Amino acid sequence: MTTLFNILITFIWVFILYALWDAAFSETGAIAGYSWDEMRTYILLAYGINALVGWRVASQMMGTIRTGEITRELTRPLNYRSTQLAAAAGMSVVEGLISLVLILVLGTLLFDVQPPDSPVAAALFAVALLAGFVIKALCIFLISLLCFWTLNSVGLMWAQQAVISVLSGTLIPLAMMPGALRVVAEVLPLRGIVSTPLQIYLGKAQGWDLAGLLALQFGWLAVLWFFSDWAWRKAFNAVEIQGG
Amino acid sequence: MDTNAAPIIEAKGLTKHFRRPVKEPGLKGAVRHLFRPAYADVVAVEGVNLSILPGESVAYVGPNGAGKSTTVKLLTGILVPTSGRVTVNGLTPFENRVENARRIGVVFGQRTQLWWDIPVGESFRLLGDIYELPDETYRASFGELIDVLDLEPLLRVPARQLSLGQRMRCDLAASLLHRPPILYLDEPTIGLDVSVKARFREFIRYMHRERGLTVMLTSHDLGDIEELCDRMVMIDNGRIVYDGALSEVTTRFGWERAVHLTLTEPDESALEAASRALGNRPGAVATQPEPTMVAVTFDSRETTAGELIRDLATALAVTDIRIEEPTAESIIRRLYEGDLVFEQAE
Repeated sequence: MTTLFNILITFIWVFILYALWDAAFSETGAIAGYSWDEMRTYILLAYGINALVGWRVASQMMGTIRTGEITRELTRPLNYRSTQLAAAAGMSVVEGLISLVLILVLGTLLFDVQPPDSPVAAALFAVALLAGFVIKALCIFLISLLCFWTLNSVGLMWAQQAVISVLSGTLIPLAMMPGALRVVAEVLPLRGIVSTPLQIYLGKAQGWDLAGLLALQFGWLAVLWFFSDWAWRKAFNAVEIQGG
Repeated sequence: MDTNAAPIIEAKGLTKHFRRPVKEPGLKGAVRHLFRPAYADVVAVEGVNLSILPGESVAYVGPNGAGKSTTVKLLTGILVPTSGRVTVNGLTPFENRVENARRIGVVFGQRTQLWWDIPVGESFRLLGDIYELPDETYRASFGELIDVLDLEPLLRVPARQLSLGQRMRCDLAASLLHRPPILYLDEPTIGLDVSVKARFREFIRYMHRERGLTVMLTSHDLGDIEELCDRMVMIDNGRIVYDGALSEVTTRFGWERAVHLTLTEPDESALEAASRALGNRPGAVATQPEPTMVAVTFDSRETTAGELIRDLATALAVTDIRIEEPTAESIIRRLYEGDLVFEQAE
């Protein structure tokens, strides 16, 4: 049920944005280098991708920390971070597959989505998408760890959703952002979640640009990997388990 | 039990302090806390020394908030101590949490470790994978537990549909599937009915006697402690106040006794008369729970029942006298209620 609602909500957003951008593009042929054909594709795929690691992964992890349910997970011989990543992957496979079918159907019927720029772009898109998935899951893991200190999850959830959807390029492509925000978004790891895979998909990045994008993405992936491990240790050492 | 064996669980000077935010009530307090957070240092466990041999069964008791659960969390490695040393199975639990988890079983009475929405049988299979049990070990262990705990009819039922008693049986099986040498039971019999409780105890006794399982049990249920444990460790305010056999708690702390007197007729002035008669006896306190009853509690180290009775019998018209011997239960209850202060165990 939750899965279906998540997908439904994603598509409501897509339709709203579609209508907005349709109006914007009726005046002009291209905005910040994006044609209407590309923009349609971007909107639909961006939301599909950002919905992959959804609300539930974070709320589940924060919930276990807040209530002390985490006790159960910690008395098992499992690495905590791996468990969380696996849970994220599990939920994403289900939601992802359903979304994929919907995107293909709606995309071809209603949105007239563009195919990938080239077979190479398609392959690299898949690689970047996977890396982006891990980046998002790690970011959510890190944010959820804050719950150990705040013991409040609602604020963290909203903040996390908002920041990720802006800085990942889900709401608008990075190229259309105003100066300072654009610089920030281009440096931070969150662009790797949506923007990087889609730039590759649409053929917006070629040659060295493309290599640079992937290098940045994988560089951040490595940093987040080590940082999240360190942060978990820190959290584990510093704080208490809730409940008697 | 081999008394020469090395302890399987050992704690030395184990201490855990928590930092708890101190907020004044209301919005004003909340805002003030935001800018100038104040914290209080809460002592959960202080200098706990504990040494448990393989095959022992130990009851860990104490009032709510005394530090029982914190100790169990420290021993299972899910909390990091502020100071002190812990060794379980030769490992330091919080440093080797994953390795330690393979060699212990944990049952929290108030939390299930089964997956809520999937059939119990599937939960067991998942646990078999999590603990990386070889097929053969899994089948043998699973078969035995199913048999002893009579779980066959429950395997297809999702955990959320189990009654509390059924759930406890499944949780026990889940915690012992990987055949750990140590089992921690944290208030396992909470909410269980009498017959389920009896079966639970029977099972733990069987695993303890036949399989040499080391059991550490926290419970408020004296029946659990009496029937399952050779040894009782009592904690109060984070410190261990008693460590020994349950039966010996009476000889060590049972100096408080009571004499109950039944009067010939209701007497309003009986209490006053009794108090006057006891005037010079230190530590003797009289109460009148009913118009025809007078109870006197006294310290058997200071005075004897005989002396008291002699004093009282001359002052009051008494038909019957009953001397109350202290029981382990009454001593523990009085400790819980806070009106008996134990000296720190040596």
